Amino acid sequence: MSFMENLLMALSSLKAHKMRSILTMLGIIIGVGAVIIVVAIGQGGEAMLKTQITGPGNTVELLYQPSDEEIRANPNIFLQAPFKQEDIRALEQIPEIKSIVASSTQMSSVRFQQETADVSSTGINQAYVKLNEMKVEKGRSFSTSDFLGGRRVGLVSHVIQEELFKGKNPVGEVITVANQPIEIIGVLEKPTGLLSFSSMEVYLPFQTWRTIYGSSDFTQVTLQADTSDQLESAGKKAARLLNNMHNTEDSYQVLNMEEIAAGIGQITRIMTLIIGSIAGISLFVGGIGVMNIMLVSVTERTREIGIRMALGATRGQVLTQFLIESMTLTLIGGILGIFLGWGTASIVSFFAGWPSLISWQVVLGGVVFSMVIGVVFGLLPANKASKLDPIESLRYE
Amino acid sequence: MIELESITKTYLLGKENVNVLNNISLKIEQGEFVAIMGPSGSGKSTLMNMIGCLDKPTSGNYTLSGENVSHYSENELARVRNQSIGFVFQQFHLLPRLSALKNVELPMIYAGVSKVERQLRAEEALNKVGLSDRMDHLPNALSGGQKQRVAIARAIVNKPKIILADEPTGALDSKTSTAIMEQFRELNGEEGVTVIVVTHESEVAAYANRTIFVRDGMIQLPSASNRGASE
Ligand SMILES: Nc1ncnc2c1ncn2[C@@H]1O[C@H](COP(=O)(O)OP(=O)(O)O)[C@@H](O)[C@H]1O
Ligand SMILES: [Mg+2]
Repeated sequence: MSFMENLLMALSSLKAHKMRSILTMLGIIIGVGAVIIVVAIGQGGEAMLKTQITGPGNTVELLYQPSDEEIRANPNIFLQAPFKQEDIRALEQIPEIKSIVASSTQMSSVRFQQETADVSSTGINQAYVKLNEMKVEKGRSFSTSDFLGGRRVGLVSHVIQEELFKGKNPVGEVITVANQPIEIIGVLEKPTGLLSFSSMEVYLPFQTWRTIYGSSDFTQVTLQADTSDQLESAGKKAARLLNNMHNTEDSYQVLNMEEIAAGIGQITRIMTLIIGSIAGISLFVGGIGVMNIMLVSVTERTREIGIRMALGATRGQVLTQFLIESMTLTLIGGILGIFLGWGTASIVSFFAGWPSLISWQVVLGGVVFSMVIGVVFGLLPANKASKLDPIESLRYE
Repeated sequence: MIELESITKTYLLGKENVNVLNNISLKIEQGEFVAIMGPSGSGKSTLMNMIGCLDKPTSGNYTLSGENVSHYSENELARVRNQSIGFVFQQFHLLPRLSALKNVELPMIYAGVSKVERQLRAEEALNKVGLSDRMDHLPNALSGGQKQRVAIARAIVNKPKIILADEPTGALDSKTSTAIMEQFRELNGEEGVTVIVVTHESEVAAYANRTIFVRDGMIQLPSASNRGASE
C-alpha cells in the first residue's frame, strides 16, 4: 500500500470530521505560528540591532574614561572636551584610518524672532555628514566651502521647524545660536528607525562652531576604516597614541563593537529561547490534543479496523494508516501555522518598523517539526488501533 | 482443501476454562457448498473465524490448501485472509463513508493492486452481483439486499477459493434472502468457489449440499459429514 494511497485515505477521513479536524489542528496552528513569529521577529530584530550598533560603515567610537586618580586630580575633567586638534592631526597619520569623524556638542539657547529654545548645538567636520548620512528634506546640505570658510550657516532638525518656526519653512531665515547669527540652509529629514528620537538640534560647520564657542576641542571622535580587521587595529593604535600623548594609562579606549553585537545576539537568543519554549509547550499541548482526538477516533472506528483486518490488512498497515492520518492532521496544521506566523510577523514588523526574517530553513523546520509531532503523538493511538482484536472489533457497536 | 484436526478453542472466563470449540475435526473439499447450523452460542461463528484465519485455535491443526496454517504469523494470516478468503457478514460490515465501488476496492488495496486495475475489477465484481448502477452510492443509500450484494462483490473481488458467510440473510427478508442465496449458488456452481454459510434457517441450509450441525462446540452426530463424503 503506497504512501499516496494512505494520504488520500487520511484526507478523506479527516474531511469526514471537518470541524473536529480543524479544532484539533488549532493547537498545532497556533504553536507553529508562534514559533514562526518568534523566530522571524527575533532574527529580524537581531539583524537590525547589530547594524544599528556597528553601523554600516565600519566605524568605532573613541571613548574617554578617566581613571579615579585623574578625576581626583582634576574634578572638572568631564567639563573639558577630551580630544584636541593635535590629537586629530596625530590620528590622521595612522594608515588604517580612512576618515575621522569629529564633532563637539553644547547646549545653547537658540532664538528666532521672539521664540527661544534650548537646543543641542553640534559642530561637525565634513566626514560627519557622510558617515551619518545627513539628508535634508528642505534646502541644501553643507558644501565643502561651508566647512573651509567657516560660513555662518546651519542645518536644523525637523523638530526645530515645528517648534521654533511653527511649521513654516525656516530655510533662508536667520536664527541666533549663543547670540551669533546663523543662516539656516536646510532642514534635516525626520529620523526613522526604532532607536532614533527627534530632538531640537542644530548643526554647524566646525570652524563656525569654534568661533561661536571659542573652543577647538572635540567631544566625540569616531574612526572609520575599510574593513573590520583594519578597524580593530586602527582602534588599538588610536587608543595607544592618545594615551601616550595625554600621558594617561588607559583613559582613551575604543568601544568594542563586536562585543556589544555579541551581547545583543545573546539577549535576542535568550529571548528567542524563552518565547520559543513557550511556543514549544503550546505545540506539546497541541500534540496531546491530537493524540486525544486520534484515540477517540480509533475507538469510534473500531469496527472499521476490524473490517479492514478481516479483508487482509496487516497490523502494520493499520498502524501506518493511523500514523499517516495524525501526521496529515499536524502537517496541515503546521502549514496553516506557517502562514499565520508569516502574516502576523509581517504585520508586526510593518507597524514596529522592524524587519522580520522568514528563511526557508524556518519554513522547512516548521513543516518537518509538525510532521514529527504528528508521528510522535500519533504513535500511541495508531499502536492501539493496530493491537485491536479483529473479531472483537467486528462485534463492536 | 479445508482440514480441521482436533481443533479446540478455549476461553478463560473468570477462573474457569470454557471450551467454545471442543475437539472439532472437519474436512471440506474445494467446490463444496456447506451449511453450518446450530443453536445460538454453540460456537458457529467461532468455527467460521477459525476457518477464515481470523482466529487461532488453542490446540489442534488447521490445514488449508495443503498448508498447515495453525502456526502462521499474524502477517501471514492476514495475507491468507486477503488472498484466499472472502467474508460476508450478517451486519454487512461496509465502511459507511466509502461508495460501493470504494468498498469493493478495499481488499485489493491490501493486495497491492494498482488503482486502475482496482477500479476495473471492482466494477466487474459489482456487475456480477447486479449492482452496476449503484457503484457510486454510499452504503446508507442502499437497501439491505443491495448492501449484502456489495459485501459479496467485495468478498469475491480478490478471487478467493473460499467464501465464508456468517448468517448472511439474518438481517434480510425472505425474498431478498432467496436472491442472496441464489447469488452464492451461482458463485459456487459457475466458479467452483467453496461456500460455507452459517444459518438458522433451513431454507437457507437447503442451498447447501451438506449441512454440519454444531452443539456446545462439538460437531453433532448423526451429522451429515458422512453423507457428504459418501456422495
Ligand atoms: N472472546 C470470548 N471470550 C469468552 N467467551 C467467548 C468469546 N467469544 C465467544 N465466546 C463464547 O463462545 C460461545 C460461542 O460463541 P459463537 O461462536 O459466537 O456462537 P454462535 O455464533 O454459534 O452463536 C458463546 O457462548 C460465547 O459467549
Ligand atoms: Mg454467531
